[in-house]
Amino acid sequence: MNDEIKSNAEELVNYIMKKCLWQFHSRTWDRKRQNEHILDMTARMIYGEEIKPTTPEEKCYWADAMCLMEAFNNHFGWLQKMDRAKKEAVMTALKDRIDFLTVTGSLNLELTDTHY
Amino acid sequence: MPYHLFKCSECIPEREKHAVIKGKGEDISMALPLGYLNTIPGTISERGCAYCGAKHVIGTPMKDVIHLSHGPVGCTYDTWQTKRYISDNDNFQLKYTFASDMKEKHIVFGAEQLLKKNILDAFAAFPNIKRMTIYQTCASALIGDDINALADEIMEENPDVDIFVCNSPGFGGPSQSGGHHKINIAWINQKVGTVDPKIDADYVINYVGEYNIQGDQEVMMDYFKRMGIYVLSTFTGNGSYDDLRAMHKAHLNVLECARSAEYICNELRVRYGIPRMDIDGFGFEPLSASLRKISLFFGIEERALAIIDTETARWKPELDWYKARLMHKKVCLWPGGSKLWHWANAIHEEMGVDVVSVYTKFGHQGDMEKGISRCEEGALAIDDPNELEGLEAMETLQPDIIFTGKRPGEVAKKIRVPYLNAHAYHNGPWKGFEGWVRFARDIYNGIYSPIHQLSLLDISKDEIPTDQGFVTNRMLSDANLSEEVRNDPNLHPYTGNYDNVSHLRNKKYPEFPRAEKDTSVA
Repeated sequence: MNDEIKSNAEELVNYIMKKCLWQFHSRTWDRKRQNEHILDMTARMIYGEEIKPTTPEEKCYWADAMCLMEAFNNHFGWLQKMDRAKKEAVMTALKDRIDFLTVTGSLNLELTDTHY
Repeated sequence: MPYHLFKCSECIPEREKHAVIKGKGEDISMALPLGYLNTIPGTISERGCAYCGAKHVIGTPMKDVIHLSHGPVGCTYDTWQTKRYISDNDNFQLKYTFASDMKEKHIVFGAEQLLKKNILDAFAAFPNIKRMTIYQTCASALIGDDINALADEIMEENPDVDIFVCNSPGFGGPSQSGGHHKINIAWINQKVGTVDPKIDADYVINYVGEYNIQGDQEVMMDYFKRMGIYVLSTFTGNGSYDDLRAMHKAHLNVLECARSAEYICNELRVRYGIPRMDIDGFGFEPLSASLRKISLFFGIEERALAIIDTETARWKPELDWYKARLMHKKVCLWPGGSKLWHWANAIHEEMGVDVVSVYTKFGHQGDMEKGISRCEEGALAIDDPNELEGLEAMETLQPDIIFTGKRPGEVAKKIRVPYLNAHAYHNGPWKGFEGWVRFARDIYNGIYSPIHQLSLLDISKDEIPTDQGFVTNRMLSDANLSEEVRNDPNLHPYTGNYDNVSHLRNKKYPEFPRAEKDTSVA
């Protein structure tokens, strides 16, 4: 990953960590699920895809993803100007970094508790 | 991100892992305070007990219920009327508090018959109240009184009453947070699904982790009603016992205080398939995003946008008046659990203050992950601080004000640091757009209070100026402002009413036509 992509992704990471709550659900499996669905939907909308959620669960992910996609477009003008390949690189780096901060690299000892 | 050992705690070296300083370019994967652990012997914690967390934080805000503690009267009396979770039924749950008043003889001979008499007496004294919660305490837990069996017996004898038993004695967890957990799980196990409500609405939510502090819940209800959203239950501020038995019928759980109530949302998701949406009711931007998210879920976005536009236009000029005067004031954000992350970024961005420290009395590491992520570099994050650490932090950081509970708050006042009550508020509600301005006003009044300025003078050693008159807070706050800001015609201080909640109780709301049946949501 080049420095530009890394730096761009870090700006988005910082936004999520300051403004969002969905990435901090209680347990490892919840955080993985949240990150996967919300960031996947956000990325697809940034690439220009339309998403039509059908189940309540999908609608919940989609609502967070919609807000995030719009915030990214409003606050980080450089994102819209990128071509598809670069956008994908940034969004992949973003997902990896959020997974690291909230799951694989998290020091939170409660994440693996088997009960809520 | 280095761990931080206070000088006063050098004799308790385990404390080092409970505090970190957020350094430049550092993140939560590098260091995270330990949390939700038993308080280390030798450190005088500011925490509450697991009984307090179950009863006084979560149980008692339910409004149409006799809340009875099975234990010594002190367990209940010590916190009677110190909470500010009001309700729209004349504050029944605040005005009346019940205890079985166990004494030494009951420890020896048992207290089940005493409890039964108390239960029947309480129902007889308030014949219109048919719901009761009973809270185990340390004393009744240790002697093994079977409260559940007794409750079942009384419900069988009196079919019109319903009783919930919460077995969360004071020693049942490291802090009040243990009690939050126990009552969440007890409620879903015992009561959710025992009432099937008739719902005549398209958009149905449970509003979870909201305690109606000085009217917070009623302010948020106003927004939900204006959006045509039906709030089936509120867990638990201003909430009804029977509504909360029907939580399984909502379409969405909207979660405010994840620290105290994420457990029931997680269980509702697993058991009933109801999604959990975390929101922020504090701050213009976070609240706007939250209303928008909820509206997107239901496909009624334009209703949320109308509210956001109206409320922002009405209140933003007032918020900005305070922001200009609070810029770079140093704040120690020292609440109990969730407010460190609800507020850390929003007060910095929307009120201009600098958060130099965050702490949590009973939070878990998840709260610290959120709080540290949301505060700025250089902030000192502390888990379960003791009084001496608090004093050392204030002496080091020299905050202009701290937001905390009334016990550490009074300590702060003694060293001439003003404080605002982060749990119960000063002149709340602080939720909602107007509420956020009320919070800013309280911060402003705390920092610029002329009385506070006078308190900084020590008559035993300082020279007392006799050649100047009394000053106002405006004279203090505006002294260093530019002419342009001071006289900005677009900005002005708070113009709302003393009571901004009561009028909502009689407000008429628009009726929205029912939507086409959407089977994917219901």
